[in-house]
Amino acid sequence: MKILPPTQRTNKRYFAFELIGGNGVDRSDLLREIFSCAGSLIGDRGSSECNIRLLDFEDSKGVVRCLRERMDMTRAVLASVTSVNGNPVMVHVLGISGTVHGATKKYLEGCTVYSPEEKP
Amino acid sequence: MADPVFYDLCVHCAPDGKSTQEEMVAMARHLGFGGIALTNHSNSDSLPKGSSDKGFEVLRGVELVSSNPSKLHGIVGKYRKKVEILAVHGGDEGINRAAVENPNVDILLHPGTPKGCGLNHVLAKSASDNNVAIAFDMASLIMLRGGRRVHSLSHFREILALARKYDVPFLLTNNASFSYGLRAPREMMALATLFGMERGEALMALSETPAEIIRRVRRGNNFICEGVEILEDDPSGMKGEDK
Repeated sequence: MKILPPTQRTNKRYFAFELIGGNGVDRSDLLREIFSCAGSLIGDRGSSECNIRLLDFEDSKGVVRCLRERMDMTRAVLASVTSVNGNPVMVHVLGISGTVHGATKKYLEGCTVYSPEEKP
Repeated sequence: MADPVFYDLCVHCAPDGKSTQEEMVAMARHLGFGGIALTNHSNSDSLPKGSSDKGFEVLRGVELVSSNPSKLHGIVGKYRKKVEILAVHGGDEGINRAAVENPNVDILLHPGTPKGCGLNHVLAKSASDNNVAIAFDMASLIMLRGGRRVHSLSHFREILALARKYDVPFLLTNNASFSYGLRAPREMMALATLFGMERGEALMALSETPAEIIRRVRRGNNFICEGVEILEDDPSGMKGEDK
């Protein structure tokens, strides 16, 4: 299928985040947790409006995509994630960008994930 | 414009919560707060130490728990001199009323009762007169699920409407009892939009309102009332200037 012309595409925002306490959590676990939190907080209708997508997730760092108009709602969903596989975690948004490239380059490259167990 | 400094005036640490004071402080610092107040429950009987280092303030506080409104005034008097931030554990109509009628109280935490939001026009008006801030507790949006979260959200909506109408100061707090329960200021602002709080209001509730409370509790003995303060001459200081 032909791709949409640029003016017809929706505007998106990309959240770069770190998953604190998320050692050994893989993408599918986190994805399941995010969607279940989205389901309980804003319901199926709200989730569909937000258009949440977990793009990449590696080494407790990742990028979530959402609709530009639903940034606050998506951020609230990410804040309501409390545990994955029974372990307490926290999603900490490091920055927001208009492109995946920007989000990865600006906020994720070279950043080490904070761990409360280790002394700084 | 300078970046706002964010404060969370309701954090519990060990032995009240699961994480130690150091863990809480380190996490809050990482998340971008400029200061927190450690408010352990008064019935757990331990006052944390306050400290201030390298731009991060830790205030000594207490969350007073009382089942009897008339006794509350007594323990408020007892703790007022000992701590900087004096918060009251709300959730009962009588306690809420006693808290908002006492100008020595800084914050009323989670006023929601099982039946309703815990505030009405009368209480909101006295909270505004006595400058008692109402705290919106983010833990009830993060940790709860289902019906209880729905109730919290609708109570927050009602409280916000009253706070706007009567000009009551309000705060956003994490009320976290372990370090993973904290959320970053921007995340809290996003959560606050869920019950209709505007961005500007959320910013005020996280930075200016708590800063105002801290200023108020830190003012010295020379303070008489708003705008009136005794200024003493300091002879040693004057000499120092002459040289």
